[in-house]
Amino acid sequence: MNNTQDSDVARMEEHLLEAIPDLRNAFEAAQEALAADTLDDFARLLEAADRLESLARADGTAANVHDLMNILTALRGYAEMLREDVKGDLPELSSQLETLLQHIESTRSVNTDAGGSEKRSLTVEPGFILAVDDLKENRELLARNLSNSGHIVITAASGEEALRALEQSDVDVVLLDLLMPGMDGHEVLRRIKDHPDWRATPVIVISGNQDMDGIIECIEAGADDYLFKPFNPVLLQARIKAGIERKRWHDREEQYRQQLERNEKFIRATFGRYLSDEIVTDILERPEGLELGGDLRRVSIMLSDIRGFTTLSEHLAPSQVVTMLNRYLGTMTEIIMAHNGIIDEFIGDAILAVFGAPQRRDDDSDRAVTCALAMQSAMVEINALNQAEGFPAVHTGIAINTGDVIAGNIGSERRSKYGFVGHAMNVTSRIEDITGGGEILVSESTLISLSGDYKVGTSKKVNVKGIDETILVHQITGKAE
Amino acid sequence: MNLSGTVLLVEDNELNRDMMIRRLSRAGLDVLTAGNGKQALDIMRSEMPCIVLMDMNLPVLDGWAASRRAKEDKDIGHIPIIALTAHATDDHRQYALDSGCDDYATKPVDFPGLLIKINKLTRL
Repeated sequence: MNNTQDSDVARMEEHLLEAIPDLRNAFEAAQEALAADTLDDFARLLEAADRLESLARADGTAANVHDLMNILTALRGYAEMLREDVKGDLPELSSQLETLLQHIESTRSVNTDAGGSEKRSLTVEPGFILAVDDLKENRELLARNLSNSGHIVITAASGEEALRALEQSDVDVVLLDLLMPGMDGHEVLRRIKDHPDWRATPVIVISGNQDMDGIIECIEAGADDYLFKPFNPVLLQARIKAGIERKRWHDREEQYRQQLERNEKFIRATFGRYLSDEIVTDILERPEGLELGGDLRRVSIMLSDIRGFTTLSEHLAPSQVVTMLNRYLGTMTEIIMAHNGIIDEFIGDAILAVFGAPQRRDDDSDRAVTCALAMQSAMVEINALNQAEGFPAVHTGIAINTGDVIAGNIGSERRSKYGFVGHAMNVTSRIEDITGGGEILVSESTLISLSGDYKVGTSKKVNVKGIDETILVHQITGKAE
Repeated sequence: MNLSGTVLLVEDNELNRDMMIRRLSRAGLDVLTAGNGKQALDIMRSEMPCIVLMDMNLPVLDGWAASRRAKEDKDIGHIPIIALTAHATDDHRQYALDSGCDDYATKPVDFPGLLIKINKLTRL
């Protein structure tokens, strides 16, 4: 045993022996009320205390752990038997016995070999521990026990003080005595478990008198673990360790949850303006299906444009142009979102929308066509409102093409948006050029991919600029009856 | 917890032995005692106790050697032995278990815990 331990043992012995005279006084005061057996037990306890004293005197320290532990076993055994005998009837005597038992418990750490593997394994992760007890000796005992094994211990002498400490520090584990004057342990526990920031902090309740009902009540109220006094230091260490691990797990989980929340916020901010809530929710529920890095995907692209709007706007006041445009774009946005399309951008009076990104669905092209039909129907209402305000009627042409595009976050670090690049985009624009007011034109590829029945009107050929290519487009005039 | 049966307590420290006899009797057990390992083996053979509580640091024949011999003896090898030692280190624990002890209790003995161990081992 090293010197530090020797002096620890000497100090513990000293505490132990100091407790004896008080116990003896309490006993003598109660003597008449005690049975012969109890008196006999007490005589033997004193005998054991005498042995301890002579052992302490003999070498100053307890070099002989074997002898020391034998004496302590006897002391503990008699003290526990006496506690059973006098239980409840003689409070002064009971409390003296408790004190003695606690001192005996604190010596148990001696034989666990402070430098040994057992102790090290219990203190892998030091924690921040709040020990709450109204008795100074108990606080000191806890603090000594726990700081020896590397934990940081703060103490509180009352419930009120405990709550203040929790406000000021990030506590890993609370050790809470139940019986305290003023705010008792039950109330402190209730407040901890009601507090949003403290709720996850493990609470180990310490009960003085094997009060199983009180413990059960605490466990039901959210306590994580319990210990009876006098507590066994090794058990205390193990429970503290488990409590710290529980807290660490919670902290990691909380960090992960916050990360997820940030991701969700980011996704909603990125997509929310041009995606329907349904699609955003869909993405959030299946994040693995969404690669922001950019991927090649088959989509149906819709481009709508008010015929002759530029000319028209030259004859109107700017505020009138804005009113008309907002009415038109507002209505169209609602319809497109209702069909789960993404609005990629507004270009003046033109709307570029995409169906099939970020999530591909089987009915992408059908939704695009149905959406276009709904948009054309809505023009009737828009024009009625326009005319009521003295504005001219407007007519939109809608082109739809289905093809492969690269979808992804396009732009710089500072400013990027989910967008689309590809030949299919240009083709759509080419189709839109030849679309008349009130007309819906779809490419051959879109028509083939439709699963619903639609009324198909005339078909025509379009030359795509820049590429030596002619494609076939078809007029859609409505749903099939 | 109330138990029944005969327990052999092997302990050379009379202070401890007296205390243990009292507590074990209160718990309902009949207690035999031995002061060293050799005596313990003799009493095990003649009295066939349900269980042995064996201090390890004993005169004449120590607890480790006595446990090893008991476990090698086909007549008494089945009797469970709980080692009582002054050291709670892993090494001491392992040393006791290697000697054939079925369980282990550290001094100052946690008596309710010891009764649980006795109960567990004698029920098997």
